[in-house]
Amino acid sequence: MNPLLEVENLTVDFWNQNRWVNVVSHVSFKVMPGEAMGLVGESGCGKTTTAYTLLGYRRPNSRIDKNAEVCFDGQNILKLPGSALRRIRGKRIALVPQNPTTTLSPGMRVGRQINEVLAAHGVSGGERQERVLDLLAHVRLPDPLKTAQKYPHQLSGGQQQRVIIAMALACRPDLLVLDEPTTGLDVTTQAQILELLMHLRQEQGMAMVYVTHDLSVVATICDRVGVMYAGELVEEAPTGELFRNPRHPYTRGLIASVPSVRVPRQRRRILLRGYLQRDQLPPGCRFAPRCLFAHESCFSDKQNLVTAAENHQVACWRWSEVPQLATEIVEELPQPEIVSAPKGAPLLQVDDLNCAYEYHRASLFANPVAKLVVRDVSFDIRPSETFALVGESGSGKSTIARTIAGLLRPPSGKVTFDDQAIAGKVGARTQDLRRDIQLVLQNPDASLNPRQPVLQIIGRPLEIFFHLRGKELRNRVEQLLDDVRLDKTYVRRYPGELSGGERQRVAIARALAANPKLMLCDEILSALDVSVQASILELLRALQAERQIAYLFISHDLAVVRSLAHRVGVLYLGELCEYGQVEEVYSPPFHPYTHMLLSAVPEVNTESRLVPTVRSDAAEGTGSRKTACPFANRCPWKVGKICEDVPPPLQQVSETHALHCHIPLEELRQRETWSKSTLQTAKS
Amino acid sequence: MIIRLILSRMVLAVLTLLAVSVFIFWTAEILPGDIAARVLGREATEESKQAFRDRLRLDRPLHERYWLWLKGAVQGDFGVSLVDQSQERQVADSIKPRLKNTAILGVYAFALYVPVTIFLASISALYRDRLPDGVISLVNLVGLAMPEFVIGTVLIYGFAVKWSLLPVLSQIQRAETLKEILNSTTLPAVTLTIVMSVYSIRLLRDSLIEVLESEYIRMAILKGLPRYRVILFHALPNAAAPALNTMALNLAYLIGGVVVVEQVFAFQGLGSLLVQSVFVRDAPTIEAVALLVSTVYIAANLFADVMSIVLNPRLRTG
Repeated sequence: MNPLLEVENLTVDFWNQNRWVNVVSHVSFKVMPGEAMGLVGESGCGKTTTAYTLLGYRRPNSRIDKNAEVCFDGQNILKLPGSALRRIRGKRIALVPQNPTTTLSPGMRVGRQINEVLAAHGVSGGERQERVLDLLAHVRLPDPLKTAQKYPHQLSGGQQQRVIIAMALACRPDLLVLDEPTTGLDVTTQAQILELLMHLRQEQGMAMVYVTHDLSVVATICDRVGVMYAGELVEEAPTGELFRNPRHPYTRGLIASVPSVRVPRQRRRILLRGYLQRDQLPPGCRFAPRCLFAHESCFSDKQNLVTAAENHQVACWRWSEVPQLATEIVEELPQPEIVSAPKGAPLLQVDDLNCAYEYHRASLFANPVAKLVVRDVSFDIRPSETFALVGESGSGKSTIARTIAGLLRPPSGKVTFDDQAIAGKVGARTQDLRRDIQLVLQNPDASLNPRQPVLQIIGRPLEIFFHLRGKELRNRVEQLLDDVRLDKTYVRRYPGELSGGERQRVAIARALAANPKLMLCDEILSALDVSVQASILELLRALQAERQIAYLFISHDLAVVRSLAHRVGVLYLGELCEYGQVEEVYSPPFHPYTHMLLSAVPEVNTESRLVPTVRSDAAEGTGSRKTACPFANRCPWKVGKICEDVPPPLQQVSETHALHCHIPLEELRQRETWSKSTLQTAKS
Repeated sequence: MIIRLILSRMVLAVLTLLAVSVFIFWTAEILPGDIAARVLGREATEESKQAFRDRLRLDRPLHERYWLWLKGAVQGDFGVSLVDQSQERQVADSIKPRLKNTAILGVYAFALYVPVTIFLASISALYRDRLPDGVISLVNLVGLAMPEFVIGTVLIYGFAVKWSLLPVLSQIQRAETLKEILNSTTLPAVTLTIVMSVYSIRLLRDSLIEVLESEYIRMAILKGLPRYRVILFHALPNAAAPALNTMALNLAYLIGGVVVVEQVFAFQGLGSLLVQSVFVRDAPTIEAVALLVSTVYIAANLFADVMSIVLNPRLRTG
């Protein structure tokens, strides 16, 4: 059989500040008809650029090497004229890009956006409307007739991504190019989209090129994986083989950096050091500066892909020694300490907290309507403890952080800090209290002022809270940079000159500058690469040990939470449905919602493909609550009418672990399937 | 939802207009001096002045006169002009032909302005940083830097004096056939188009460039859509919002603010009427023209609001 797609020697440069910067370098791979090929790597590795080139797309101010070839079904896509490209795009090669919200045209009904593709590729008018409805039904959108009439903003993220998949499938393409299609979606939604994609592939036999940073997603969906680093393909192998026997040091590091939702605390592992610095690439192996096993010759000798095993290629001349060397290093690492939740009086106590946003007025003269997004939530955090709140988007996690930070005034409920009830709004709080509670936000690109140098960013809280000036201030800032493992020369840099991980470190340093007792961390890792995530997690642990800081750690990532938190609260539609010590929450009995969340997490699994299954995506549950148990309408184990009418009782599992459910604990234990499937995977 | 939104905008527009009318009436009334003495001259007898005041109801309280004035204005009766007392000229009668002339010129200029703006902005955005964009931007900058009377004068010099294609002065009041009308309005209309479009082209170009870089445009291209569809159905509707507001303001400018251009071409429009009335302190005419112009301003803005609601489904669906 001939390959459907053959990429040969693909090299792409971008024009950046008066010089060409190499983004993709000599990448070659093949995709057979019906095969799913994954491209993984951290941000900046060139995977997305490679994917878009497959559609003959070239970013403005970029150049593709003239020797490069992207042969699709015998024709070189890179040499085709515009009209021929238009005939292939959308018809034979279709794209599912990363962000569904910005990908759909905001002013056009979604049905028409699908219709357009059909029209452009010569489907007659009468047939089109029917095909559109068929496609919408096929991607399992409810009520196709109604959905087709909607505008993108009226759909949830998961539904928007389904529309885009329907659009991509419209002309039954031979090749589907997917660029991080589930990044930014909730785990439950992601699980459903993955399941849909696998189903569609089986049914239509199309080939896929799947680009993602998420190794567990690749493990779930791809037949073969290519690992990219700094624009080069460094390893390529069938999925099972790659995860079982990773040969390249980079691949090993990547796999080790992924926290597991199924293993309590990470075993000893070698994390990736540093991060990709494009302006400091050596002429030889581009990974050498970050490689633990690099020889001097690695920096000067170019590494080409060599065959390590059948179908397994790797660009590292020491591939056969690496496993042995790695084992030796791991054995020298100290065992990670067992974390136990600290005892003592709580630092922060939250009792029956309600949070609300004020809605916009319906008309000029109407009163603003308040919408309750968090209901009767209670928890406490002790000094040097990490309490995590998990839940899907819209569950009210961030709202709780904003309320504790004093950005929102709660309509009712009590927040006690250091045995003192604290004022709702930050403006009414004392200077000391403002200093004690610090907030770190998700996106450092947006939370750091781009026109201030690091010195000023970190220095500001020092001026306000400690009245430091001049040399003193500078010394303290340098010390703080050191605390977050950044070089002190960074004081003069601007956020734009830092990488994403470094920026988040600066944001953390700014919070630390106030010498807080409590840090509110709102999704601070979600925008970062796995290796950076892993290093910031280490940093947070170290800081906690040094300074006894308590963290309120808000995250949708159950694996990260398991590796960091002491105690966990699971939030659904603004209500805590389960809470307890971390290992209690991650083992049975589970609240049905906790169980659904855990089952939706894909795993880097070497033995079998576990397809995560969930019943409904997050959006179907959002909106105003109509039932006594907020989860009733989505619950796969719903008992009956009682769930809708009677608030579920709090069942105490242990002294520290409790959940709200009508189902008896014993039955919950029996029904769960997640930990049972864990057993065999945890061993491997 | 959309009906409610538009209705509430309309209510707001009417309220604004009322506020404006109060302001206009009040300003005209507080002009210093005795109106009767000013109009009738120093030699007028006390009786004739009293008769004049009675006729204009000048001795009634201000709010009562405002109410009468407003009632009349709504019905198209703006009272009697203060100049030329012997002829009892109705303000409405002196405004009517001027309004007609201005409307013809305005419609003509606007009909040129919108397509020219969209076309040049699109070319500029599509060929960003390349030759066509450079040429358009340069010409634009020159246009932006030149005052409108210079543009008008240059056009007159070229088209009327040098090549004798069009008349130097606009004789719209005598024009009867379409050809005559076009003949007498083309030069002022082109001048106005240039004045208005220079700024709008820049604005639309920038917002188009932003939209063209968006992911939904890239998606539209990678769906295999023809180029014209990408521009017409995906780029322009989403880029139009900021340009729409300037277009609306320009529409209003065409009605009341073109005094200078009217002077250059000796065009008999509303603007020159307003200037003349100010010279002779003809309060009823000033009030009438000012009210008319404000109405157009408010209506044009209302129109822009409604258009952006129509173009943006986020505003019109919940």
